[in-house]
Amino acid sequence: MTPLLEFADVSFSYEQRSVLADINFVLEPGECAALIGPNGIGKTTLLRLATGALACSRGWISLAGRRLDTLQRAETARLIAFIPQRFDLPFDFTVEQIVQQGRTPHLGLFTGLKRQDLWAVEHAMDLANVTSLRKRIFNQLSGGERQRVKIALGLAQEPRLLLLDEPTQNLDLGRQLELLDLIKTLNDEGVTMLAAMHDLQLIQGTFSSVLLLEPNQKLRKGRPQELLQAAILEQAFDCPPRRHPKLIGEDRDLLEKIP
Amino acid sequence: METEIAETITPITPTREDRRIGSSDRALYICLLAVLVAALAIVLVFSIGMGAVKIGVREVLGSLLNWHRSKGAESVILFDIRLPRVLASMLVGAALSVAGLLFQGLFRNPMADPYVIGSSGGAALGAGIGLFLLPHFSFLGFGATAVMAFAGSVGAIALVYWLARIGGRVPIVTLLLAGFAVSTMLSYSTYFLAILDDNFGLRTRVLASWLTGVIAVPRWTQLEVTAVMVGCGLIVCFPLARRLNTLALGEDYALHLGVSVEKTHLAIILTGSLMTAAAVSLGGVISFVGLIVPHMARLVLGPDHVRLLPVTAIAGSIFLALADTLARTILAPSEVPVGLLTAFIGGPFFLYLLRQTRREYTL
Repeated sequence: MTPLLEFADVSFSYEQRSVLADINFVLEPGECAALIGPNGIGKTTLLRLATGALACSRGWISLAGRRLDTLQRAETARLIAFIPQRFDLPFDFTVEQIVQQGRTPHLGLFTGLKRQDLWAVEHAMDLANVTSLRKRIFNQLSGGERQRVKIALGLAQEPRLLLLDEPTQNLDLGRQLELLDLIKTLNDEGVTMLAAMHDLQLIQGTFSSVLLLEPNQKLRKGRPQELLQAAILEQAFDCPPRRHPKLIGEDRDLLEKIP
Repeated sequence: METEIAETITPITPTREDRRIGSSDRALYICLLAVLVAALAIVLVFSIGMGAVKIGVREVLGSLLNWHRSKGAESVILFDIRLPRVLASMLVGAALSVAGLLFQGLFRNPMADPYVIGSSGGAALGAGIGLFLLPHFSFLGFGATAVMAFAGSVGAIALVYWLARIGGRVPIVTLLLAGFAVSTMLSYSTYFLAILDDNFGLRTRVLASWLTGVIAVPRWTQLEVTAVMVGCGLIVCFPLARRLNTLALGEDYALHLGVSVEKTHLAIILTGSLMTAAAVSLGGVISFVGLIVPHMARLVLGPDHVRLLPVTAIAGSIFLALADTLARTILAPSEVPVGLLTAFIGGPFFLYLLRQTRREYTL
């Protein structure tokens, strides 16, 4: 099977400062992967490289078997959707209007939304459970609601791969679990996921694989139970032994108790 | 591509409800457009009738519908003075309002306006240079003033855009400061040009009226040239309006949605400048119209640029036609510059908006 996303010896630097070096990994269709690593290591940069918003300085990236730099912007946007952390809107768009923007890569300059586009929008809102918010103003929504609307916007693109940048940040426990459920549902529907995750306790049970970025090391990919080990994480996150929070034990039990 | 997508997300079966998305809204919107067009026609007839010599509605309608020109004084006033002037004010109003809408989308900032961001000032300086230094120049039938006004406006916006943008965003503070500085430099350069030229002669008076914003009675050819400029601009605006909606999500996000952001920005700057140049070559620097009209339209319709565009154009025509009629009748027989009037209305409105949006921009 052709991998959906492949990074081959990818390096990237802002001006002179090297951010990512020699990144290699493959994401198969149907995977649900969490990207973890300490602050400032370049998780967001990696995601933005995958969307083509940034161009890598060395190496190459392929998307569904085609080199990313040979794809048109709109072609890329039909394959891959990116859900950013922050989203500031200067005008009072409604939820529906925002989700409709997801159809942009499918539309020409002179064509409006057709019936099939409206269905895609409805379906996306339905999946992300924001249909009831349709007429609400985005800027007046709560953090959890905004996050779901952003995901609906990404889904309206009908992408094969959904990239999420810290989707659970600033959400309370209930909303975090709600979001993880959504990620799982979408993955079951066949959408491949790659999410930069801050909170390591939320990974087990939702994600099928983990990509670990650590200083001065090659990117490692493995199953959550292989990589979420105290010894590995202490080194990667540079935290002294026994000062880190319990990772897998109690908290996972808590998560699993909630239906 | 479509088949691959079908594999990813199973399309839902369309239900009857799905087909009615937005249909009731659309009917309302079309009604609003119809009402505005009717209002525009009424304002046209009313404005032509107003002035030192009052012309009754029946006479105006009769003359316009039959296009009957006679040698009589009333006919001369109607066809050679009132009608061109009212049409000019309508064109200027539409051009400035649409330019305002475009710039607000470009800067992702509801405070942008051709006057505030220096586009009008640039166009006025360009027009001045054309008038004084290149009186015989012409390009594709457009005189030096129109061409240079366009160039001046593009230059001014490009400068403000470059100065005010910080990391892909244009904060309100830098936008207003850069716009203020550039506008001031440009308007004093225009004065300086006038002083150098002929020590307050005829052309200087033309220039002074430009800087305060007076819609002169245009020649019909001038009106035609401007109408072509505004018409072309409006045609380009329709596909741009869709892009403005996407750009509102942020440059970065628009990029992720497959929009070529730089090209779109360039297209907006060029189109907005074309509109501003058209407006300035007829009426000079008229402030705040591009701020008030799109804002009012947004209050009624929400922020969807595709819907805002036609409404903004028509409402802008109505607004400036009324303002200009007021300007030439309020202190008759002398005339108040319409730019002064819009500044009186628009200035406080601008400050009110600034106060309203303050909390959003301190973050």
